[in-house]
Amino acid sequence: MTDQPSAPRRGHRMLAAAAGLGVLGLPLAAPAPSPSPSASPLPAPPTGPDRGTVLYQQSCASCHGQRGEGTQRGPSLADVGPASVDFQLSTGRMPLSKEGKPNVHQDAVFSESDIRALVQHVASFPPGGGPPIPVVGGGSTPSGRELYLTYCSACHSAAGVGATLNNGRIAPSLFEATPTQIGEAVRVGPGLMPAFPPDVLSDEEVDDVAAYVGVLQDDRGELDRGGWPLGRLGPFTEGVVAWVFGLTIVLLLARRLGSRAR
Amino acid sequence: MITRRIYRALDARLGTTSIGRTALAKVFPDHWTFMFGEIALYAFMALLLTGTYLTLFFEPSTSETVYDGAYQPLDGSKVSSAFASTVALSFDVRAGLLIRQAHHWAALLFVAAIVVHMLRVFFTGAFRRPRELNWVVGVTMLALALLNGFTGYSMPDDLLSGTGLRIIYSTVLSIPVVGSWIATLAFGGEFPTPETTPRLYISHVLIVPGIFLALISVHLLMIIRQKHSQFPGPGRREHNVVGSRLWPAYAVRSVSLLTGVFAVVFALGGLVQINPVWIYGPFHPAKATSPAQPDWYVAWGDGALRLFPPIEFHVFGHLVPAPFLPAVGVGTVTFLLLYAWPWLERWRTGDKASHQILQRPRESPGRVAVGAYALTFFAVLLVTAADDIIARLTRIPVTGLLRTLQILVLVLPFVVAAVAFFTARALRAGTATSLGELTREDLHAGLSGRSIDRRPDDEPEERIRLWRNPDDTWRWRWYGPGEELSSNEAFLDRQEALDAAKTAFPGVRVEQDEPPEGVVLPPPQHKPGPATKAAAALVWVAMAVLGRRADRRTPSRSEASE
Repeated sequence: MTDQPSAPRRGHRMLAAAAGLGVLGLPLAAPAPSPSPSASPLPAPPTGPDRGTVLYQQSCASCHGQRGEGTQRGPSLADVGPASVDFQLSTGRMPLSKEGKPNVHQDAVFSESDIRALVQHVASFPPGGGPPIPVVGGGSTPSGRELYLTYCSACHSAAGVGATLNNGRIAPSLFEATPTQIGEAVRVGPGLMPAFPPDVLSDEEVDDVAAYVGVLQDDRGELDRGGWPLGRLGPFTEGVVAWVFGLTIVLLLARRLGSRAR
Repeated sequence: MITRRIYRALDARLGTTSIGRTALAKVFPDHWTFMFGEIALYAFMALLLTGTYLTLFFEPSTSETVYDGAYQPLDGSKVSSAFASTVALSFDVRAGLLIRQAHHWAALLFVAAIVVHMLRVFFTGAFRRPRELNWVVGVTMLALALLNGFTGYSMPDDLLSGTGLRIIYSTVLSIPVVGSWIATLAFGGEFPTPETTPRLYISHVLIVPGIFLALISVHLLMIIRQKHSQFPGPGRREHNVVGSRLWPAYAVRSVSLLTGVFAVVFALGGLVQINPVWIYGPFHPAKATSPAQPDWYVAWGDGALRLFPPIEFHVFGHLVPAPFLPAVGVGTVTFLLLYAWPWLERWRTGDKASHQILQRPRESPGRVAVGAYALTFFAVLLVTAADDIIARLTRIPVTGLLRTLQILVLVLPFVVAAVAFFTARALRAGTATSLGELTREDLHAGLSGRSIDRRPDDEPEERIRLWRNPDDTWRWRWYGPGEELSSNEAFLDRQEALDAAKTAFPGVRVEQDEPPEGVVLPPPQHKPGPATKAAAALVWVAMAVLGRRADRRTPSRSEASE
């Protein structure tokens, strides 16, 4: 979370949070980050309760319709739920920079406060509903490891590097994902991923999975204790290293040794 | 003093002096490609040493146990003993991870060295009479190396290797009529069974290495019995071996290679992570991980399975399932062709003569073409085994990638074989020594198949000199254009030396029988380079220092003994 205190806007910020997200347990009194020009290439829109409306009109309505009803260029947002909107915006998958381009994890276009405003605005479309933004954290890694290998590793790989699916689509690597985004993806099932509702994976189990993905992200350098992990891509890269580094060095040595001493 | 007495005692009982003198004087040809087999041998030694350490901690059992150790995400989980002990080896045993990784890297290097060694033998025609038997022994060792690599890879009972074991099980099942019998016999029931891991273990650590040791001995004994082949060159004949003596020249090189192989194996083991089973997790039939590959040396089988269209047909009412042709068929045909190659080539060329002088690859363009075809074919299969990784990294749809590879595996080997064939012919036709020196005329000759007038291989101005050493032994030396070669052994009388010289160089004039009284022909002198001088100076200083220390200590010791 970018902490950029900005006192004049605190009132609006609290209003928006209380109205849209307070029920989800997000910190109500968090200082509001000011929208930085670098994060948003658009001309600074007016701040206030209608900020979400303005941003939606600028960046989303052309494809998803004025009230999220969907158009020929984009699907309906009427009942996707806050988790889906937050996931798509916070992972930078939306808004699409170019139509038809595969949407992958990248830097978010909108600031956090803008994303919240957009989530709130989309949530106001009738009929509403859909999974809320989950609160994820503090899970146990041994349980998460078992759950991850049961539900996730077939597509995202046991090492978290992701894998290819059909038609050139991929299950992405999980190294960039935040715990909240993991929870959102589990509940929403973006793209080809199936959704796991709470009766399949409880909230505690989602916490555990997110905790284990944290282990896979290996921020403290404890998981890859064998050395250079080679992208954790497995035996293929290991074979390449064995030939290119291992055998080639030995062959060069043999070449040097085998040339007759003069 | 003591060593000398032990040596005398040994010599009196076993006659070690004469064996030792012959062994130390054994000549190894001077060419770096002759060391490929040694690389494999030293990788095997590294495997034995590291593998022995691993057996002290690995538990070959699938009985359930609770992992209790330093790897926190597994702590307290119920897993098989095999998996738990492998994770413990990686996290809790001192130096366990280094040794485990070094063992795995040594295995990858071992098979790679065998393949490179086999390519050298293949392309130079070293498998020809009288060495067909050793070729057969070598191909058997390659097959056993693949088998032992795979059993070792499968033993930790992790999710990745379990997937591979499942594929092998299904492959064995796909053999018509007898498949299910063989599978049950080998795996001890329907996969996965608790019997599998102990069987993999005993085969991996005892049976196959035991056979391997025996075959290595046979391989080396045959080399000693038949002597080394050698490349054509000045003074090299069918009846001699030109090179360096085992002691001291070749032994130093060989030991250097040994330490080099160990250095690479342990550097990789310490610096580059391999097969992190704790990340893959324990095997469970309902779980999977992707992308998934086997180790490179069996990946061609995986690639063939991915590439081959799912064709099933019936023979005499028996179903031949889809995996049979790519998984069983490709491997079987490959190894049958490898085994039969010396006889196939003899049948094709009609060459039944015994050969001690090797061919340069260009001298047999047909063989070059076959080798290039096989190499390209298997390279495409290896790439195919990684199609999911390539699709993941390039975002090319995996179906399109597979279709491309299916076309490549049919077309590319022929293209490469044709290019190799004509290049070899062009090299043979002209005087170019390397690809860069090929002229347009050479290429034309290679394409049309006619040969440019070749220089005659006559070696004028050859002579042999024989002389007596001050200790009444006899030596001989061959002089050719720009080259001279000494006998590696000293002979007890003149006739022996003369016979040996005439065996090595039949028909060459013996020019000078004996030097004038008291004059000994000087051995060839080499000016030592600066590095050698520096090393010698270091050794001299070290010996001087050590000697002075020893001098200082000796008096006190002798006093004590008195």
